Amino acid sequence: MEKIISYENLTKLVDGIIQSGHIAIGQDEKGINWKRLNDAKELKINYASVPSNLSYKEFLFTKTEPVFYFRNNKDNFNLIEPKPEINENSKIVFLGAKPCDSRSIEIMSKVFNWDYKDKFFNQRAVQSIVIGTACNYQDEFCFCTSVGLSPVSEKGSDIFLVPLDDKNFAVKIISEKGKEFIAPYLNLLADENISLDKIIVGIKAPEKKFDTAKVKEWVTNNFEHKIFDDAGATCLSCGQCAFACPVCHCFDIVDEECDYTCGRRMKNWDACQFGLFTLHGSGHNPRETHGKRYRQRVAHKFKYYHDKFDEILCTGCGRCSRGCPAGIDIACVVTNINTVANQA
Amino acid sequence: MNELREKARELLQSGTVKVIIGYAQGTTPLHTKPIIIRFAEDSDKLVMNKYCVNNLSVYLTRKEFKGNGTVGIVAKGCDVKSIVQLIQENQVNKDDLYIIGVNCNGAVSELGKEFSAETVATKCLHCMVRTPHLYHTLIGTQEELPKRADTNFEMLQKLEAMTPDEKWNFWEAEFEKCVKCYACRQACPLCYCERCIADKSVPRWIESSAHTRGNIAWNIIRAFHLSGRCIGCNECERACPAGIPLSLLNRKMGMTAKKEFDYVAGMGLDTPTLVGTFDVKDNEDFIK
Repeated sequence: MEKIISYENLTKLVDGIIQSGHIAIGQDEKGINWKRLNDAKELKINYASVPSNLSYKEFLFTKTEPVFYFRNNKDNFNLIEPKPEINENSKIVFLGAKPCDSRSIEIMSKVFNWDYKDKFFNQRAVQSIVIGTACNYQDEFCFCTSVGLSPVSEKGSDIFLVPLDDKNFAVKIISEKGKEFIAPYLNLLADENISLDKIIVGIKAPEKKFDTAKVKEWVTNNFEHKIFDDAGATCLSCGQCAFACPVCHCFDIVDEECDYTCGRRMKNWDACQFGLFTLHGSGHNPRETHGKRYRQRVAHKFKYYHDKFDEILCTGCGRCSRGCPAGIDIACVVTNINTVANQA
Repeated sequence: MNELREKARELLQSGTVKVIIGYAQGTTPLHTKPIIIRFAEDSDKLVMNKYCVNNLSVYLTRKEFKGNGTVGIVAKGCDVKSIVQLIQENQVNKDDLYIIGVNCNGAVSELGKEFSAETVATKCLHCMVRTPHLYHTLIGTQEELPKRADTNFEMLQKLEAMTPDEKWNFWEAEFEKCVKCYACRQACPLCYCERCIADKSVPRWIESSAHTRGNIAWNIIRAFHLSGRCIGCNECERACPAGIPLSLLNRKMGMTAKKEFDYVAGMGLDTPTLVGTFDVKDNEDFIK
């Protein structure tokens, strides 16, 4: 016996979320980005289509936000705390997150709680409820199975949906947070005599392309290898890959002054592929070439983050590769590394 | 395709060119990617088909190619327009170039989609340079180009009919989506400034934050910097992960340049650039 929910009842759930003052986040109509839903009719669970161009990390680690405001009067200097944009009692509910999205909060939490606890990220992470969905889409760019996930992975989801047909989903309650959240809406769920395990087994997964342990070992020992120069040769140094990535988390701190007496300090997305990212004040740039910057991208995802946090900084969604204007496919690069490592 | 590979092999073997910038097979048959080859034996990696969308002239202004021998480049007519513009703006030396011109049969608007009448890129619909206007060697033959309605132009007309407030609201909503990844700038062959105004911080002209104000400042200033220069390759719009319709801005400016000054960017190698020259007969009606 399993719990199921119809699409119609799912929209009722979204209605409930919105009416109780919570925030419902779903994919936009073009599948480009995620947005705050103002109406349950806007809900789209894209379990069988390509991942959106951009992930929903913007709602956890925002593309720009004030860290504090400052005011400088003649006699005193004041720091003013920013008001949270989202009421602290509201839940932020992500609807229809594929396994390659739902995993992102856990992965990013590690870096945002490493020494300094990032209160902005943490606050939103605490408030978030992830309603994940099994994924029925795959293309040549997908590689979730290579980084320890799968189209049916429940990791990171509080509630997990498994599409049964066009109109119904099986509902699995994964976490305590999810259980508490769904409690007022249990009337929207029905019991059905189905074998969920059989359905889950039937969902096709992309082929495993590389072995992360092997890749990490090779990257550790081949820092100067030309593979990185070759991979980065045509890179345009835009930040599409980092900004579309569900787990890339680098940021820049800049001050925006309104005049000499007041202003605000902003925290903005930044990307390691930008030439300016590592440019020192002296004029020296340790990552001057595209190849060195591309090496950083690969090494951070498959070595450094794993060294430090025991996590691969990648969910295999393929967004960076699908969207790369120069057609650089990270899975191809890393698979290539794996091949070279096997030959060594 | 063999014609291209043979030619590339010959050029590299004879030493006519040091390097060739071309297209290679991408992740799927519906994708290609830029490739830089230096050895004749790599010529077989080159491909030419309807999925060769990138404007490769973006690589020509890289330091590594300057003063290091002749650079060969595979170019469609629209790409040649930007090459011409780069030569006009003294960014590329004509004598250091070897253009392998391609008789173009249209390019797909979005990689990953099958080429058809529905998916042919907007810029191909009114293309005047299917045979490039400047080349050293020409390859390929022309076939008939599929036709479709120019929905981009219809949208532009809709925009033109809007009140200033409506236009503002439209662009405000579009620019709000911007994430400041600067893919538009990086994919643009004519955004070659060594230090972009967006990266200058003393003083900071454009706020680097991706809030609506900073985004509007960035996108409008970039549009201004391309007015009379943009050749309409549309790489900025293709590169944009947020789906901002930048072609509407660029196309409108191109139309204005044509209407007011009878000028089309990237067409005449020997004509002076529009914004880089002054003529006493220039129309000054707009200065009030």
